Amino acid sequence: MSAVAERPAPLARLAAAVTALGGGSRARARRADALARLLTLGLPTPRDGAWKYTNLRLLERRDLAPAPPRPIDAQLLALLPSRPGATLVFVDGRYHAALGSGALPAGVTFTPLATLLDQTATPALDARLGASDHLDDRIRLLNTALAADGGELSVAAGIAVEADVHVVHIASGAGAYPRLLVTLAAGSTLRLVEYHLTAGDPDSVAAPVTDIDLAAAAHLEHYSVGLTGIRSIELEDVTVTLARDAGYRHCHIANGAQLARLDLRVRLAGEGSSTALAGLFLADRARQLDVRTLVEHLVPRTTSEQLYRGVATERGRGSYDGKVVVHAGALKSDSRQSSRNLLLSKEAAIDTRPQLEINADDVKCSHGATTGTLDEQMLFYLLARGLERDTARALLTYAFAADVLARIALPELRRYTEERVLGSLPAAALIREFVR
Amino acid sequence: MSSGKQGDVILEIVDLAVEVQGRRILDGLNLLVRAGEVHAIMGPNGAGKSTLSQLLAGRSGYNILRGSVRYCGEDLLPLPPEERARRGLFLGFQYPVEIPGVNNVYLLKAALNARRRQLGLAEVDAFEFLGIVRERMRLMQIDEAFLSRGVNEGFSGGEKKRNEILQMTVLEPTLAILDETDSGLDIDALKVVAAGVNSLRRPDRSVVLVTHYQRLLDHIVPDRVHVLAAGRILKSGDRSLALELEKRGYDWVRAEASAA
Repeated sequence: MSAVAERPAPLARLAAAVTALGGGSRARARRADALARLLTLGLPTPRDGAWKYTNLRLLERRDLAPAPPRPIDAQLLALLPSRPGATLVFVDGRYHAALGSGALPAGVTFTPLATLLDQTATPALDARLGASDHLDDRIRLLNTALAADGGELSVAAGIAVEADVHVVHIASGAGAYPRLLVTLAAGSTLRLVEYHLTAGDPDSVAAPVTDIDLAAAAHLEHYSVGLTGIRSIELEDVTVTLARDAGYRHCHIANGAQLARLDLRVRLAGEGSSTALAGLFLADRARQLDVRTLVEHLVPRTTSEQLYRGVATERGRGSYDGKVVVHAGALKSDSRQSSRNLLLSKEAAIDTRPQLEINADDVKCSHGATTGTLDEQMLFYLLARGLERDTARALLTYAFAADVLARIALPELRRYTEERVLGSLPAAALIREFVR
Repeated sequence: MSSGKQGDVILEIVDLAVEVQGRRILDGLNLLVRAGEVHAIMGPNGAGKSTLSQLLAGRSGYNILRGSVRYCGEDLLPLPPEERARRGLFLGFQYPVEIPGVNNVYLLKAALNARRRQLGLAEVDAFEFLGIVRERMRLMQIDEAFLSRGVNEGFSGGEKKRNEILQMTVLEPTLAILDETDSGLDIDALKVVAAGVNSLRRPDRSVVLVTHYQRLLDHIVPDRVHVLAAGRILKSGDRSLALELEKRGYDWVRAEASAA
């Protein structure tokens, strides 16, 4: 026997955390099963294709157990853009009614999941939380093993919701595993804005998992804004399934965390369904910000568009790993992918890998990817008009992000994000008036 | 360095030889432009016209083998492009770039204030500035909607060229170098551009028109016409030279030069 106690692997330490969550027999079985599968599969490593660009070694030193409840200063929410409509707040993965504000719009219902997760044994819910042995699903397994709460957000058929619904996730300690189910019934529309924050600067690990179901002709406009502290780890997993003529728009803004990754899977499962995905990451300091998308064209006449922009400065790193699969029989699929990335320092690095797998005829697919420094022709044009070099560089950096900023339909969030982008530039004061 | 009075030397290029990626583009070029003059530099494709324009504006990537360029009495070549612009050297680009996300009018205001600071003048405020720009926009027949757009964003070829001339009329440079500003313009747009350039003609300002065709010179009458070929000025003359080039092409100039 070694004199030094062996440190258990981070996942092995989780058995106690799963036990501590308690719950009914069905819930305990589900969690134990998820953890067992996860222990068998292990955490992803860069050797796994889907995790090529994300190194999870940081996780090894982290406490992944769900954070114990603690009070949160409501002032934290005041830092966010104003949120007309309703705000639902989750603290360390648990629904926190007192911090919320605004009444839910008519036609929208919200049900916290704690009771359901712990007690209810409906096959439908179990199916939705179902464990999978797929290697891409390990973050979902982590969430399934440790989720203590979450919420189900539903919109009734035919309702076009006028007011926005905001969801704010706050991590204050160790692990946070909210589980969200979003269901839009036929013909309904909703705008959902999610913010990810930390209280203080914790060594938090959040793995929020969201499943979105869009019935026929339902439309969801979804924002995800990552603003967590510099020591946090955020592993967000979103899966969307679209029925006939449904539409899903996603806009991802990442400028937080030490390590943040979005896994976004969109299944175009109904004819005429379409999706438009956009994202901007600003990897400053020593952040690692990754985006992985998987868009599946499962049936004919489906459309997808992806527009991702990445900026890395200082020692920041980032990646876009986007895959489009056109399945057999998905005729007349239309898919576009664009990933452009800007490196502003010698230590910064960005990987981009747009991939296309086509198994059907009569499709229209395109993709493009670039990673480079500022455009020399643009820079020279601005200098030739007498602008200072610092100003010109800052302007072009800002302009680089502009086509994603233009996708943000909410004025408050758009202004906030513009400020955030400006704030990350060294010459913000010089260019502020240019971009108004 | 201030703009001179009529007759002062504004630009003096002596025996300039330039290489780009190992290729000799300019080779022994001489040019003298005085205050108040309009010069046209004509020449076949690949003669080095655009290299000369871009080099004067300060673009990097040119290897200067020999020669000198003096602007208003000072050595131009060590100055960075932004410094040249502030001292009143303006390049109208052959292919103005689109810069979505950078507002057209704020670029223009920043450019004007950079120039005014250099001249020791007070910066213009937004109100004053709009007055100046609106007047010039009428002259250039540019729609006010352009003000709020990104730099050249979605502009047609002709609109981009008019925008270049708009910038020039607002900045009132000491030396304007217009690189093929006439290319791709229909006759109406050509007249508008010419009116913009002519509005700027003053005894203390100079213009160098780099052009492929003589038709621009029907509207902007030059004091001197030069033929640039094989990297240097092969022949200079008055306006009638341009008409002769139009009729006879460039080959006879080259033949004449090699015979000499």
